[in-house]
Amino acid sequence: MEYILIKTLEAMATFVLAFIVGMTYGGVVRKITGRAHNRLGPPWYQNFIDAFKLLSKTRGIHHGAMHFLGAAFLMVTSVVSLMIIPVLAPGGDAWYNSWFTNMNFNGDLIFLIYIMTFGPLGMAMGAGQTGNPNSSIGVTRGLSQMVGFEIPWVMALVALMITYKTTSVVDFMNIQRETGTWLMFANPFAFIAAVLAMLGMFRYSPFDIVGAPTELASGPVSENGGKFLFTMMSSGSVFTFAKLVLYVDLFMGGANNLVMLVVKTFLLYMIPVLYGIVSPRYRTEQAVRWFWGWPTFIGLLAILYAVIF
Amino acid sequence: MLTLILLLFLGGAIVTWLGGKLSPVVGDLLFLATIIIPAGMFFTGVPVGEVTHLHALGLTLTWGLTPLSYLFSMIVVGLGILLAIYAVPFMKGKQKTGAFYFNFTLSVMSMLGILASKDWVSFFIFWEIMTWSSYLMVILNGKEVQRVGIKYFIFSAIGAYAMLMAMVVMNSQLHSFLLADTFNNFQHLTTGNQILIPILLLVAFGVKSAMMPLHVWAPDAYSNAPMAYTGLFSGALSKMGIYGMVLVMVTMINQLPEGTLIRDIIAWIGGFTAAAATLWAITQDDGKKLLAWSSVGQMGYIIVGVAIGTPLAMLAALFLVVIHAMFKGSLFMVVGAIEKQTGTTDFKEVNGLIRKMPWTFISALISVIALAGIPPLAGFVSKWMLYEALIQNNNYILVILLFFASTAGFLYCYKFLHGYFLGQEEPEWAHVKEAPVAMVIPMLLLALGTFVLGTYPQLLFKPIDAALQYVGYDATGGRLWGESLLFSQWGDVVTLQPILYVVLAVFVFFALFLWFKGTKGTRYVSTKDISTSGELPKEWENLTFKVNFMQPFERAIEPFLKRQVDKYYTAFGNGMEALFEFTRRIYTGNGQTYAIYAVLFLALLLLFRVNLFG
Repeated sequence: MEYILIKTLEAMATFVLAFIVGMTYGGVVRKITGRAHNRLGPPWYQNFIDAFKLLSKTRGIHHGAMHFLGAAFLMVTSVVSLMIIPVLAPGGDAWYNSWFTNMNFNGDLIFLIYIMTFGPLGMAMGAGQTGNPNSSIGVTRGLSQMVGFEIPWVMALVALMITYKTTSVVDFMNIQRETGTWLMFANPFAFIAAVLAMLGMFRYSPFDIVGAPTELASGPVSENGGKFLFTMMSSGSVFTFAKLVLYVDLFMGGANNLVMLVVKTFLLYMIPVLYGIVSPRYRTEQAVRWFWGWPTFIGLLAILYAVIF
Repeated sequence: MLTLILLLFLGGAIVTWLGGKLSPVVGDLLFLATIIIPAGMFFTGVPVGEVTHLHALGLTLTWGLTPLSYLFSMIVVGLGILLAIYAVPFMKGKQKTGAFYFNFTLSVMSMLGILASKDWVSFFIFWEIMTWSSYLMVILNGKEVQRVGIKYFIFSAIGAYAMLMAMVVMNSQLHSFLLADTFNNFQHLTTGNQILIPILLLVAFGVKSAMMPLHVWAPDAYSNAPMAYTGLFSGALSKMGIYGMVLVMVTMINQLPEGTLIRDIIAWIGGFTAAAATLWAITQDDGKKLLAWSSVGQMGYIIVGVAIGTPLAMLAALFLVVIHAMFKGSLFMVVGAIEKQTGTTDFKEVNGLIRKMPWTFISALISVIALAGIPPLAGFVSKWMLYEALIQNNNYILVILLFFASTAGFLYCYKFLHGYFLGQEEPEWAHVKEAPVAMVIPMLLLALGTFVLGTYPQLLFKPIDAALQYVGYDATGGRLWGESLLFSQWGDVVTLQPILYVVLAVFVFFALFLWFKGTKGTRYVSTKDISTSGELPKEWENLTFKVNFMQPFERAIEPFLKRQVDKYYTAFGNGMEALFEFTRRIYTGNGQTYAIYAVLFLALLLLFRVNLFG
């Protein structure tokens, strides 16, 4: 019983960390985007204000049972991926290191790939029940795009699995610590393919076709407000953080302490953000085909590189 | 005992048919008794390993269950019982109920017969009974008999002839019809026969398991048969092909020096089947067709696993065999229920059923999650094992192909659920009620089964392990799986039980968080009464989004969709027709033409006679 209690507290600590970091990143991105557009931009803590405003609102309407469950499905994905992905490297010496172990040894990369699709599918159900056609259009676009970027992403992962004969994230981190080489240098093609897939995964321009504000009025989230939007917003922040940590774990050796973690994830996060600021939006089929072009080719190179060396 | 069970099925089929003539209720009751009593006897009374001999027509037929066939027979019996219960309300008020019950019972009997056969003669006889009964089911509704029925029949005939030829060759060389003899003495065959026989058998089994390019019959046949039967058709009947394939792969291909090449080719065919069928499933606008294509795709995964043949891959494939029977059985029942309640299965016509048929929706949701392979449901277990097996067996590009197929699978999963249950609620369907209890319970049971097996797969791994040990693999328990644990050869682990607890805990917490003060004092808004970004939709405005549902994706894969095997077959068929047309000019069936031929022939003879002897 005590064990479960401690585990739950540790999990909550991880969740709070992910929530704070993710929300802050969201605010900082809004600021950076504003400056790039020659605006002042909102303050970095704007996302916290928005989130707590949403949380404090009372609701007058509801859309049916599946609509409730959709947001809960979304949260399952964010939290379970966060529990499985190692937040800090196993060899780190910071005093809080053991807090973030959670369920690192209970799943592997293939599990992560599948659990990451659980939430969007559940969320899609909820969006479907509202009956808003824009929501459903957004969902079909999102799923199509997922088929697009999943190919280079899986290719990059398979290339790593071939070389190191494991699918466990913890093992990848241990390998990087022992050899002293980050995997982004050990197999650069895999890293490039993964980063190109990341552009689609984070849904900034030119791949923001799911929420496309001018066409779909935010797409799947458009019938939500109050607590629903709060749940979706925090789930999005936590999930963003989890995905960034996964990239850092796989390609940049993980982080030994929280400061390094923030620095590494932030640097990585700037790739899709900065690319997005200066890009217009693709059509869906263009986006899908883009992922099946160069990124897939580089993914093939990564596999070849892994097989040959 | 086995003989008695098969006889009970056969007799029951006839009695049901006759009883149905007296009164429909008697027919229903007899049908249920015919399926459930022998099935119960099968579960309780048939020991694995017992052998029965039957002397008939100067041949000795040998029957008995092996651990491998016991695994498959569990699918047949389990799915048979549930579908029989489902079929009674489904067929109520429909035409040709007697024929349906008769063929249904014969299908179940013939499948058990195939699994119990220990010699090729009875195997072939039962195989043909299975083909015939399913053929009669496909054309039961009398629609498109020409296009669908003939196509299924031709491909079944190709498969049957291939099997017959293999049987004859084996018997002429080895002088035995026993399966065990042909497998054990396989080395004594000549090299040519050693390659010919497995390929012929693989063609025969490939037809039934809808392997590309022999799959073209499947989508039409699955969707044309009554939905209460299609669950059995796709869930159990197509698995007979897999059963045969496992036998051929393990016993024959393994003894060949070219075995790895054949295995690779079959695995690639399977992977291609999975990917291409998934893309076709996405483009379908009818739930039956969509599920039919999806079945073809799932068989592709199974074929890949069987063809790779490592212990992990075999575990994955056989696990998927059972799981697929469960979730696809449930999904076809869902479509049947919708057809029964609304009269249509077209996504473009029916929508927004979630509040009218909630239990059907729950079964569909759980089954679809299992189909998509998302943890913590059972589909994930087989997908995980299959991918690990492929990567560890150095099939890198194949694993990418399967990942692609499985990700693209989410699109048709969503299309299925959205098509029937979500979206705008139309007044046209306001009258729709939930399906009868006897239809809901079987589909719900199957769906919940996938849920249980997703966390406790060892329940199923034990019989699979026994089956694998029977065909010559080492014990996999403790090495590749444990209590609610999955391992791979590299030592990667997934612990299913803690994951289920975390998933449930998070889900319940946030569902309660959202529900709290969520419904009380709030008003339900209809699907017309939505914000749509501030514009108020007018009464006459159509907000239904169904037509061209996956258009962006279809545009992206457009070049692929232009290629169809069906077209090549049609071209081949047209060519043959032209040839027959030419033949018909000679054999006109007209007496005068034949008279002319006779006269010409005589003239020719005379001519020769003059030349030769003149």
